[in-house]
Order: sequence, then C-alpha cells, then structure tokens
Amino acid sequence: MRVTVNVTADTVDARSFAMADLQDELTATAEMGELAELSSPTEETPEPSADDALTRARAFLTTHPVADGYCGLPATLRTLPWYDLELGDSSVDTDLPRLRDGGVGALLWTLRLLPGTAHAEHPVTAVLEQLDFAQHVVAQYPEGLRPALSASEACDARAYGRIAVLMGPAPAAAIGESLATLRALHTLGLRVLTLSGTCWATEAGLTRFGEEVVREINRLGVLADLTGASVPTARRVLAVTKAPVILAHSGAHALNSHPDNVPDDLLAALGAAGGVCLVPCSAERTGPELGDVADHLGHVRRVAGPGSVGLCGAYDTGAVHPDGLADVSRYPYLIAELVERGWPESDLAQLTWGNVQRVLRETEFAARAAAPRREPSTARIERLDT
Amino acid sequence: MTTSLERARAILADFPVVDGHNDLPWALREQVAYDIDARDIAVDQSAHLHTDLARLRAGGVGAQFWSVYVRSDMAGDVAVSATLEQIDCVQQLIERYPADLRRALTAADMEAARTEGRIASLMGAEGGHSIDNSLATLRALHTLGVRYMTLTHNDNIAWADSATDEPGVGGLSPFGHEVVREMNRAGMLVDLSHVAATTMRAALDTSVAPVIFSHSSSRAVCDHPRNIPDDVLERLPANGGVAMATFVPKFVLQAAVDWTAAADDNLRAHGFHHLDTSAEAMKLHGAFEEAHPRPVATVSTVADHLDHMREVAGVDHIGIGGDYDGTAFLPDGLGDVSGYPNLIAELVDRGWSDTDLAKLTWQNAVRVLGAAEDVARDEQARRGPSNATLDQLDG
Repeated sequence: MRVTVNVTADTVDARSFAMADLQDELTATAEMGELAELSSPTEETPEPSADDALTRARAFLTTHPVADGYCGLPATLRTLPWYDLELGDSSVDTDLPRLRDGGVGALLWTLRLLPGTAHAEHPVTAVLEQLDFAQHVVAQYPEGLRPALSASEACDARAYGRIAVLMGPAPAAAIGESLATLRALHTLGLRVLTLSGTCWATEAGLTRFGEEVVREINRLGVLADLTGASVPTARRVLAVTKAPVILAHSGAHALNSHPDNVPDDLLAALGAAGGVCLVPCSAERTGPELGDVADHLGHVRRVAGPGSVGLCGAYDTGAVHPDGLADVSRYPYLIAELVERGWPESDLAQLTWGNVQRVLRETEFAARAAAPRREPSTARIERLDT
Repeated sequence: MTTSLERARAILADFPVVDGHNDLPWALREQVAYDIDARDIAVDQSAHLHTDLARLRAGGVGAQFWSVYVRSDMAGDVAVSATLEQIDCVQQLIERYPADLRRALTAADMEAARTEGRIASLMGAEGGHSIDNSLATLRALHTLGVRYMTLTHNDNIAWADSATDEPGVGGLSPFGHEVVREMNRAGMLVDLSHVAATTMRAALDTSVAPVIFSHSSSRAVCDHPRNIPDDVLERLPANGGVAMATFVPKFVLQAAVDWTAAADDNLRAHGFHHLDTSAEAMKLHGAFEEAHPRPVATVSTVADHLDHMREVAGVDHIGIGGDYDGTAFLPDGLGDVSGYPNLIAELVDRGWSDTDLAKLTWQNAVRVLGAAEDVARDEQARRGPSNATLDQLDG
C-alpha cells in the first residue's frame, strides 16, 4: 500500500512540475496559432470558401466557445492507469490541447453508471465516487480546467482562459429515491439530473414522487435532462417544471430513429418552453458523417428554434463518432459546415454558448424565486407512489 | 456560600458541554419522518424527546455532535442514502433555529459559537456501513460536514469488528486501516465507540490524528464490551484523543448490565429476538420487569466512570457523550439534556477543580477537532485522495 501512495505522490509532483514549465509556453503557442491561421488563407487560398469558413469558425469560437453538454471523460479516466490531460493523451478524445484547439469553453461532465460493474446495485455510491473523482481531476489541472457551479462561474472560467467544468448529468438512480440525497448531490456540486431509467419516470410518465423531484430540482437549481425519457414523462416534466429543461444528448427522431432521439412535436414543445436540445456527435444517434450532425442541428433549429439548439460531443462515452468529428478538437469543422450552410452568426452564438448559458441562468433564477416559497421537500416515495 | 450546583452552572457558562453523541435526527426520522414542524424543538418536547432547545440551554450545552446514525442492518446504497437524509435533517435544524444553533465544521467554528452564545452543531456518522466501502463516499460525508465516524455500530462490517459481535477480521482489515488513514487525511475524527477492543488498538496503531470515543465509559468500572479497557485508555495521552463518557445505564451500571442480560435471556428463552419490540415480546418483557425491578443508575454512577477515566487516561483525555434520544433509559438526575449541571456538581463535590472541569466539558473536545484539522493539512500536502477498494486490499 505504501508503494502505491508514494507513486501517486510522485506523479502528482511530476505533473505540477511539468505544468509550471509549460504554462507560459502554452499561452504563447495558442496566441501564435491564431495569428498564423488568420494570415494563412490570404497567402495560399487553395479552396477559398472552405478555408474561409474554417477560419471564420475558429475566429468565431474564440468569442463564442462551445459549451459541450455531454462529456464522459471522468469515467473513462477512472479506467486508465495513467493519464496526462495537460500534454495530451491519446487514450481519450478529450484533453487540454484538443479542447483549446476545438474552441471549447465549457464541459458538462456526465457521471454515468458503467454497465457490468457494481454501479448498477450502488448508483448512489457510484455517483458520489464519480463526483469525487471528477472534482479531483479538475483540481489536478488548474491551468486548464476550472470548476463551475453556475452560469456566472462558467463565464468567469472563460475570463480566466480556463475551460469551465460543470458536474452532470447524473442518472436519476443517483438520488436513491430520496430528495435529501438529491440535496446532498446538489451541495456536492451536481447541476444536471437525467429524469429517466427509474421507477418514478417511466413509459407511463412521471409518478407523483417524480413530480416532487422536478419541483425539488427547480427549488435547488439543478437542470432537468430528458434524454431517454418517455414522451409522456417529457411532457409531464414540461408541464410541471418552472425552469427550462435540456436534452443533454438527443438528435432528431425525424432524421434518425434512435430510441433516445426526439420526435418533432416534442422538439417544438421543448422550444416553446425555452429548453435546449444538445445534438450529439454520435454516429449512432445522428449519422456517420459530419454533415449528418449538421442536418440534425438544422432540423432542431428549424423545429425547436435557434434558441433551443446546442452541441454535445458525447466524447469519451464509448460512442462512435461521425467521420470528421473524431475528438473535441473538431468543433471548428462542424461550425465551418454550419457557416457554409448559411447559419447567421447570431444563431451560431446561441448554438455554441448562449443557449446553455441561458438555461443555466434561468434555472438559477427559478431556484431563487422558489427558495422563499418552498421548504426543502420531505416527501417520501413510499408515501406518494403507493 | 454557593452550592455545588451553582458552581457547576457558573463553570458551564464559561466552558459549556461539548456532547459527543445525540440521536435527535434518528428520533425525528422515526417519530415524524423528518417533519420537523411536528417536533418543533423551540417548544417543550419533553413528552417525546430528551432534547429541545430550552433544555439544551438549561443543560449548559455549547456544542453538540448530532449523530447521523443509520441502523446497522442497512447496507450499500440504502445506508448511504439514509445517512445523507440524516445529514440533511441536521442541516434543516441548523437553518431553522439560527439563533440557537450554529453550523460548525472546525474547532474555530466551535469557539465562535461559544462566543456568540449559540450551540455549535457538528455531525458524527455512526458506523462504517454509512460509506458503503467507498473512500470517495467518506470524503463526500466530510464535505457535507460530518466530522467523526464511528467505525462500526452494533454489527461487524467487512473491514472492522464491533464490540457487540463475534470476532471477524480481528480488529481492522487492511482496508479498515486505509479507512483510518483516509479519515486522517480528510480531517474526520476516528470514533472508537461501539468497536471491539481489537479494533480500538488497531485504529490507535494506524491513526496519526487523535481519536475519540463519542459515547463510551470505562470497562474497569463496569464490565461491558461497549466500554473502554484500561490499556486503551492508557494510550490516549500519547495519541492525544478523548474518551467521552456515556450515561446509558446498561453500559455504566453493573447491576443494569446483568439485569439487561437476564431480560434478554428471558426473551430468547421464549423464542423472541432480544431486540424484538412486538406486542407479545413487550408484554413478556413487561412481566419480567414487574418481577425484577430495573436497576437505576445515578449521577454518581457516571461520576465513578469519569473518576476512573481521569485516573487512567488523564484529565486532558476525557469528555462527555450522553447518547440522549439514542437510549430509552437514563440515570436519575440525567434524564434529559438539561441534566449535565447535576453531573458537574457531583464532580465539584468530588473535588474536581475548575480547570479540570473546563477540560472535561469543553477544552479537550475542541482541542481534538483542531488537532485533526492540523493533521489533515499535513496529510493532504503529502498525498492525494485514496481510491483503494475493499476488493483490492482485502481481496
């Protein structure tokens, strides 16, 4: 045991040493890189329109970075004997050099339960462990990552040139059918909860306890994620909630019939309720090409509205990614595609950063409004759902 | 001429009681499912509880470790979630009674509460089953404000032996030692009440921070496994820890220990579990009590323990942990949380000095929490969080 402890201590030292060395250089490289790209098209211009679009996309992302709604990095790192996010790590799709390349400004880190492990029987403990580990990882890279508990803190992270990390979504099972456990998770930093895969949010819709969960997450300021929720559940949540909801990684069912993708009528309802659908870079849910993701984004924008579409990479979740979107560094190519398809900058700004910021803020407002009106709920599932 | 009770109250005004263990949260769970409106402790609750604010004040309580106990037949997520509910309950109480209770996470918070005249409210978990064999969950409890964890409750767990169970791993397993190290690193006090003497010794071997006994008395005075043997008390000066004497008659009074054993035997002889509270079992027990009156402990019984513990561990290593609302019967004169002055008056009569009494009631417990914080700072500078698992270490 003592050996393990020593190794850990040494590696931490080595890493902070390396970071200290690289800190200035990294900043300098990033700035020079941007300048180089700005000047290159005028010199070479082999494919003017494509290069223009990519250049524009990169420039655009420096002011409107991507808020990626679904990143599975912590669970993946947990399985690795060693990782280095600062210098880059080929065993993951998400590391600091590529996040910077990709123009990413905020990440939602999903705390998913790993199938085939003890997680299924211990979802509460499993999510507490993932929260603990995820926060430890963020703390290991203070030059690159910064924990954020609110929309404002995500903006602060940007102002400091860091990538904001918010905790969630976590699966509904994480609350152990207990509102006090939900409050504990909120205190520990959880900000998004997925309302599916539980006995209180089923094919038939929300139970009374499920409705109480929605009211309690509204009171706390935790975002509701409807990914994987049945249509009756989603509709009931939209009826009960005082804050906007998100679909953390869903495409359009009209274009791809994956069970987690959303039908148009629900997308329209989501849009009307001010929610956001975060379209994944997932071959399974969207399609095998970068253009497929762009198609889904266009469809969601058309049906739900430009204020209700966002991005999620689904990187490091085991998903297969479309060609051209292999890792987090590829967002500029996706944005370039949208530029070529004629998305106005105002819509792009909402897509990459604005919409996620807005739902976070509105969730916080709703919580502040609820706080003086509602006591913490002591409702128990066995009393509401018998 | 001031009476010893007046002197006791004067001492408590300056150095109020830090009580190591109070089960009010569990009582609120059992009685009213955490509907704290239904048991408003701002008004008299003597019909239902040992504890309310007026009696805490009358008792000279300045700091309370509220137990976030959950039953030891709970395991896995059920135990973790129930513990989080207990923590939530304490949080609600602190928010509801801000003029009387103050959330306290550190020794400095305790001192601030004393200065403000509020009751420092700390939390202690009672049993390793509350962390579901997960060191990350242990850290989560610490983040949520839990400042001690009793390693076991009445039953053995996978990595530690209980005082009231058969020998299992023989004290602490390798993972159990890692739990102690991680508690040191987190700044959570290791509580050795309820654990087997083998576990006490093993934890003292490993812990680099002072330990506590949140509610345990002396085994030399009353031979019950829940009490502390002298060889362990003798190790407290080197460790810096504190043993907080409890009031529970069936642990502190030999006649009550024997009576309880006979009553349990009686239940078992008639085919009931000794903790059965069904109507038939209670009727049988009632008849037994009719025939054999329950022995009554007194303030003096508890004072005998404190005298012995002071002798063996030293005056810097003793404290008080009543176990109110966690036990049905209490000594005469210590029937609820307003009773502490009677105990202090008894010690005054036995010649304890003001200095000794200040250590007993306040200073020792505060010092121990502060020392745990210092150790945590050192340990955190030295190593990262441990994610060792039971399977890895105990395989």
